[in-house]
Amino acid sequence: MSEEILSVNDLSVVFPTEDGMVEAVRGVSYSLSERDVLAIVGESGSGKSVAAMALMGLLPKYAQITGDVRYRGEDVLAMSPKRSRALRGQNIAMIFQDPMTAMNPVYTVGDQLAEAYRSHHRVERKVALARAVEMLDRVGIPQAKDRARSYPHEFSGGMRQRAMIAMAIINSPDIIIADEPTTALDVTVQAQILETLIEVKDSVNAAVILITHDLGVVAGMAHRVLVMYAGRGVERADVEDIYRRPRMPYTAGLLGSIPALDSAGGKLHPITGAPPSLINLPPGCPFSTRCPLVTDRCLTEEPELAATDLPHHQVACHNWEKVAETPDPTLLFRTKAVDA
Amino acid sequence: MTMRESIEPDMTPLGPLGSEGPEGPEREFTIKARTQGQMVRRRFIRHRGAAIGFTALVIVIILAYTSIGFWKIPGWWYLGYTKTNPIVNGGAPTLDVLPAFIDGDGFMIGPHPFGQDQIGRDYFALTMRGTQISLMVAFVIGILSTFIGAVAGAISGYYGGQADNVIMRFTDLLLTIPILTIAAVVGNATGNLGPFFLAVVLSLLIWTSLARLVRGEFLSLREKEYVEAARAMGASSPRIIFRHMLPNAIGTIIVSATLTIAVAILLEAALSFLGFGIRSPDTSLGLLISTYQTAFSTRPWLFWWPGLFIVIIALSVNFIGDGLRDAFDPKQNRVRA
Amino acid sequence: MGSYILRRILASLLILLAASFLMFALVTLSGDPLAEFTGSNAPDKARLIQERIETLNLDRPFLVQYFLWLGGAIGCLIPGMSCDLGVNLSNQPVTSLIVDAFPTTLQLVLAATILAIVLGISIGIISAIRQYTAFDYSITFLAFLFYSLPIFWVAVLLKEFGAIRINDWLAEPAVTLPTAIVIAGFSALFFSAVVGGSRKQRLLVGLGAAVGAVLIFVGLVASGWFSNPGMGPGVVTIGAAAAAVGATLLFTNLENRRVLFIALGTAAAGVITAYAALPLLEDPSWLTLFGLGALVTAIGVGLGWIFGDIDRPAAIRAAVLTSFGVGLLVFMDRTVSSFAAYSAEVNGRPVATIGSKTPNFNGTFWEVTLDTATHLVLPTLAIMLISFAGYSRYSRASMLEVLNADYVRTARAKGLTERTVVLRHAFRNAMIPLATLAAIDFGAVISGAIITETVFGWKGMGVLFTSAVQRDDAYQIMGVFMVTAIAVLLFNLIADISYAILDPRIRLS
Ligand SMILES: Nc1ncnc2c1ncn2[C@@H]1O[C@H](COP(=O)(O)OP(=O)(O)OP(=O)(O)O)[C@@H](O)[C@H]1O
Ligand code: SF4
Ligand SMILES: [Mg+2]
Repeated sequence: MSEEILSVNDLSVVFPTEDGMVEAVRGVSYSLSERDVLAIVGESGSGKSVAAMALMGLLPKYAQITGDVRYRGEDVLAMSPKRSRALRGQNIAMIFQDPMTAMNPVYTVGDQLAEAYRSHHRVERKVALARAVEMLDRVGIPQAKDRARSYPHEFSGGMRQRAMIAMAIINSPDIIIADEPTTALDVTVQAQILETLIEVKDSVNAAVILITHDLGVVAGMAHRVLVMYAGRGVERADVEDIYRRPRMPYTAGLLGSIPALDSAGGKLHPITGAPPSLINLPPGCPFSTRCPLVTDRCLTEEPELAATDLPHHQVACHNWEKVAETPDPTLLFRTKAVDA
Repeated sequence: MTMRESIEPDMTPLGPLGSEGPEGPEREFTIKARTQGQMVRRRFIRHRGAAIGFTALVIVIILAYTSIGFWKIPGWWYLGYTKTNPIVNGGAPTLDVLPAFIDGDGFMIGPHPFGQDQIGRDYFALTMRGTQISLMVAFVIGILSTFIGAVAGAISGYYGGQADNVIMRFTDLLLTIPILTIAAVVGNATGNLGPFFLAVVLSLLIWTSLARLVRGEFLSLREKEYVEAARAMGASSPRIIFRHMLPNAIGTIIVSATLTIAVAILLEAALSFLGFGIRSPDTSLGLLISTYQTAFSTRPWLFWWPGLFIVIIALSVNFIGDGLRDAFDPKQNRVRA
Repeated sequence: MGSYILRRILASLLILLAASFLMFALVTLSGDPLAEFTGSNAPDKARLIQERIETLNLDRPFLVQYFLWLGGAIGCLIPGMSCDLGVNLSNQPVTSLIVDAFPTTLQLVLAATILAIVLGISIGIISAIRQYTAFDYSITFLAFLFYSLPIFWVAVLLKEFGAIRINDWLAEPAVTLPTAIVIAGFSALFFSAVVGGSRKQRLLVGLGAAVGAVLIFVGLVASGWFSNPGMGPGVVTIGAAAAAVGATLLFTNLENRRVLFIALGTAAAGVITAYAALPLLEDPSWLTLFGLGALVTAIGVGLGWIFGDIDRPAAIRAAVLTSFGVGLLVFMDRTVSSFAAYSAEVNGRPVATIGSKTPNFNGTFWEVTLDTATHLVLPTLAIMLISFAGYSRYSRASMLEVLNADYVRTARAKGLTERTVVLRHAFRNAMIPLATLAAIDFGAVISGAIITETVFGWKGMGVLFTSAVQRDDAYQIMGVFMVTAIAVLLFNLIADISYAILDPRIRLS
């Protein structure tokens, strides 16, 4: 088994705001080994981006971050600003959701890539530019040498996201965090971008944290999956288990919402309702308002992430056994009255 | 353009944390549902500057209009602003706000709290009279120019085409000429017709910036589904404009009206100072400063009081405008390119 | 880009034409140039009236009057043609009146605009970076206050407190409690804002700065510095070193010894050059000054080129900036040293209250510079305040918006230093919308200049304008109008072009 490079333990993030304390992330834990792909899946607002940005040190100063994050044994949250800056971009790189706005409109693509290289390597601009062209070429941008002189607005969305990937790998990082890298793109380019990401990740031997709200894209790529709900990790398992043996009603619901996986006559069984407000969360399981299996215990006691019948598979649900007994858990959401 | 273009962008509330988190739109998720009106009111009251400004402005208005009275209604102050009185205290202000333990004689208003001018007129009464006229002029300009600007902008943005072209080229034209110069020419020619007429004339000159703002809002509102739907259902144009579009532009309009009042009070003062605005026997705060500027070394209070009132009014109105802007769109970035 | 500029110029000319027609109509229809004769009982009244009707074409239809005026005025825009803006009511040609008044006003307007832009933008940006600090709140309040000040009132106040009282004080410098409090307050606020950090740290720095400033002030007063001020080689050298450190900080960081030493070397070269050339600097010409400045800059660039290695671009930039800084310091040093001589020549009232220069003043280069500066300072300050408020508020908002932009997050994620993120990524983008503001603001500055000129008795366009309006002097008003309109349009054009230069999305489309 390969070496563990990142471990996140009980990471929490709270934003004090005018309306109250926003508990965006509440005790998330996971670990990442070399060259692994971990998918973090969850609805919009479940705290995926915040959790990722916390370890990059990209959250605003007023964010209150607690927990233990270790990169190769080094305490990330307690790093000096200088070491933290060196870590960013050099050891951990990040790709963002919206390629249209993620690049500075006033500098050429090549300059922006070269800058990323030069901020961690003392080389002349020319050298860095050559390296930038090489990276652009590697992510499949044609005529990379010319295109490096273009401004971001002259690129299409897909090309910009390729350029962002090129920027992420320019320093050969250990970890690439890709925060919904394809959400803003056309369906036709989504697959290409993911493929490119996997290819280049292998070429630099990096591990990937793939953040997405689409379980569909996870299937062919990830090794491990962490499902997040209302700031918590609610299920953590190998990718096979997630698809075939989900133990959390929420995960089952997500699976039921994927068109391609639903073989039963194209009918979807989406989860109804909306996640709770992250301010003044009610006691009990945050999913209880939408859960078909809800019991009295769910309303008073919040379940912890705990072991299940399967190895390497944890779930935060009081009634996971019931899910395990259900032959096709995605059908749980078909009607409301399946409760036993 | 107005003499001081309302480029006042974003002033975040003075609370501990503003609404400028990096994840702007996503925060909606956490905000409890409130009606638009409630939210606007709540945010306005919470804006400390706006609350203080609002209080100050109300006090000044009440003071100015009740003290010496206006029109045929008498006020509670015992002296008129035209009457000459025997000089008391060498003409210096008799107002004393320092409590007894500092200067020994305690709080006192006295016969002439703001002092007297050379011929013995009560300067409190004069300042109040000037404040009345200045406020009247500013409010008339604020309301009238807002009306013109909103209508012109609405027509321009809603109908587009030829009407839009004409109105926008006209605003271009007015933007080329510094407002004070054209106002001076017009004011000089019409100043003897009285303050109200001057206010009307100035309104005709400073509606352009609002027209542009409203036009911009209408251009984007025109594309919205509910407007298209209303049109498809055969609603008449005026109905669409007044029922569906204007309510959505109301924030912009109210904020701009407020800031125009601040601009107007300073414009009137500057014109009167140069001699192209209010003429005697009428008076205004700007005219008072102009009249007494040479008296600075001998009777400085004649210069201080009207200036102080201009600053209080303009500052209050600017803070109110800022509070309103924050209240109407707390998140939206206010940089207009 | 070329065709874009051309299109903008053509559009401006059309607007100018329309504006001229509108104003001509307004001016000729609103005033009566014969009004001043109604009460007159001069014996040759009828002849005077007849003369005026003829010179001003009052007997011709309005449109003919306009086109006659336009025919002469168009010549002003076409090189080689004669420029004729008509005559005023005293039969003086308007063109020559404007030629005399224009430079005076231009000086004022330019000084105010440049200062407002530089100060407003820097302070707005610091305010944005230090959002929700005491500094931010103070600047916010000051900006609102400046917005709400009637400019003429400020001008009169400045005249009283900035000139008359200061002159009185300079005659007999003494430390009073109010001056000490003001000085302490300002230095505390300024330094604690610049340093930032935790509340305790800011408090300590502020306290230290306040005490230090007051001590220095007391020391200066006690040693009689204010009656014969100067900086001396010591202060100049320290200042030069500070400039070098500042320039290095701006372009890289202090750990980059290579760049730091190149900048320090440039600073040293500057100071040595200045003191070696001291005889030349007794009463220099601008040419000498530029020559010396160019020499030092060249030395700096050379140092950067030779020793810069992979940091060559940053080193050269730092060296150039350092040489500017040193040049400015030496210039200030020389100017300040001739203060005593200048003060004596103007009877011990160095800060002027009237006009743009002392009439018939002759002195060395430095004394003339001082003369201009002391006349310029107060009116410039008065005009500047409002614009300053605008620029600081606007750049603060713009910067806050940009600091939240995705690409700034990307820049941070790349591991760039905070300095690079702010200066290279945020600042550059925050400047783009400011180009529009500069164009809008210029009209306000002109309005401000008109008012301020009347208070400070400058014989510029403002006085030309107000006196013309008082007399219903149509052609003189039109002359001023056309100049201001052209100035505003030109400024708009410059703003548009800088907008295009700053933003490749516009430049390349
Ligand atoms: N700076 C902030 N201040 C206050 N609340 C914040 C801040 N940043 C994020 N949040 C809140 O934290 C919660 C989690 O946000 P996050 O961006 O992590 O969601 P996400 O899972 O990435 O969703 P998406 O799929 O939409 O990207 C949201 O409710 C959001 O409103
Ligand atoms: S704990 Fe209860 S409410 Fe929560 S997911 Fe499990 S069953 Fe549903
Ligand atoms: Mg996200």
